[in-house]
Amino acid sequence: VPHSTQLHEEQIAACTPAPTPRVPVVRKHHVLVRISHWLTIPLLLGLIVSGVSIYWASPIYQHNTDPQTGSLDYLADAGIWICAHVPGAHDCSSHPDWTYSHISLGPYMLAPALRLHWCCAYLFMLNGLVYLAGILLGGEWRALLPRLSDARGAVKMVAYYAGTPLAILKRQPRKPPRQSTKYNPLQRLAYFSIPIAGLLSVLTGWAIHKPMQFSRLAAVFGGFESARVWHFWLMWIFVLFVIPHVILVFAEGWDTLRSMITGWSRIVQSGGQANEG
Amino acid sequence: MKVDAAFKERPAEMIEVAPEAWRHRTRRDFLAFGAGVLGVLAVRRSWRHDGWLANKALRFDDDVAEALYSPNRLVPTYTKSQITPLKNNYNGATPGPGYIPAWHLTLDGLASGLAVSLDIRNLLTHHQIHDQITRLVCVEGWSAIAWWAGLKFDDLLRAYPPVSQAKWARLESSVNLDSSGNPDPYFVSIDLPTARHPQTLLATHLNGQPLAVEHGAPLRLLAPVKLGLKNIKAITRITYMRDEPKDYWAERGHSRYDGI
Repeated sequence: VPHSTQLHEEQIAACTPAPTPRVPVVRKHHVLVRISHWLTIPLLLGLIVSGVSIYWASPIYQHNTDPQTGSLDYLADAGIWICAHVPGAHDCSSHPDWTYSHISLGPYMLAPALRLHWCCAYLFMLNGLVYLAGILLGGEWRALLPRLSDARGAVKMVAYYAGTPLAILKRQPRKPPRQSTKYNPLQRLAYFSIPIAGLLSVLTGWAIHKPMQFSRLAAVFGGFESARVWHFWLMWIFVLFVIPHVILVFAEGWDTLRSMITGWSRIVQSGGQANEG
Repeated sequence: MKVDAAFKERPAEMIEVAPEAWRHRTRRDFLAFGAGVLGVLAVRRSWRHDGWLANKALRFDDDVAEALYSPNRLVPTYTKSQITPLKNNYNGATPGPGYIPAWHLTLDGLASGLAVSLDIRNLLTHHQIHDQITRLVCVEGWSAIAWWAGLKFDDLLRAYPPVSQAKWARLESSVNLDSSGNPDPYFVSIDLPTARHPQTLLATHLNGQPLAVEHGAPLRLLAPVKLGLKNIKAITRITYMRDEPKDYWAERGHSRYDGI
């Protein structure tokens, strides 16, 4: 553990004159894990906004042309609906384009969207390798491996989180399920699955980007058309992960967020084990 | 059980640090984090103001595509039962059939130093016609499996060899129209290795019938290792050259090589 030796030196240098109370800390995230964690945000954002613009050029999910609106795309329908029913929806100059103008680079942006998508995709792959190096060098990969008891534990955690808002409203004291590992079972499930989803996004991405040179890879996902569908739904897995992830980090408290910046946690369990994350 | 232990989560090592050292470290890491955020914002700003990074990414991706290309790697072929409808994706308006009777293909940049003019009968009678059911993939994301027939581009290259220094072919369609119906010649660059690929056809037939106007009558390129936008319809001229020729969609922000 390279950081702990450095801290020891600092601590010795700073602490010789007066015996101030010391701060117990545990090392939580390797520096490469932290760097790749934060870089994922702009990269994923770039991939999603450009990806939706690419989707616009040829939507996977289409219906017969609507005689009233002329639309054949469900995302365009969503835009038409929002402009008609949501009072505060600004910028309704083109109703079918509303969704694309608000969650992507916009319609008619295929060429810039492809440029952004390739740039972010190569960096995303590089970032994935940085993350891999981080969890291997720091030994953190062991804490991410799912255990047999995790299925039940994850259900317990979901029940705990689901009941928490009501408990707060009722001012009932509430304790999380006991935990002796770095992550709780639900976290393990999420943090183990998300890198796999990232890998599948990369593989399906290559399968649809180079369907001739990588035709065997495309066949693994059921062919070119089917690999596009995989790639589309993998994006939603990231979106569905990010929402509770951000909510829970703020619910867990400052130490969790800080540890992803500094690498150290101040929450030390009796067994010398860091708590939530 | 040793293997088991290797996979087992290890308890985190608790250490005690002086409060000043802790504060100092935390401050340092937050400053580094803030610098990183500013760096990312600066990259985003420069992305909007000049296309340097975007073009770099595009060229890098083209280089990757070129490195992946192999003349021996064939694209998957399909059976007639797997054929799907093929969209007419003429970017502008589909030209009227008036050009077809007088159509001929001009070859330029040949080793002979002469320009050659060929009509469709000449092309069909002097070259073997090959059938091929392959997938055409559009840059927009849709694709179609279609039954093509035509002569191999490689056969034409053997019959009329290009100048020895030639590395590229410029394929042009002078009959292409823009969306308002005005002449808008379409042109693509094709690297000669792709032109020589055994599955690159100069297609004359679709589904056993001579090409219709909407699919590029009477002769179109069918290079399944390239995106659809390189598969130029109604070719009127092929020029072989040493330097990379211009490309219609590359001039409009798309990549140049477009290998898939």
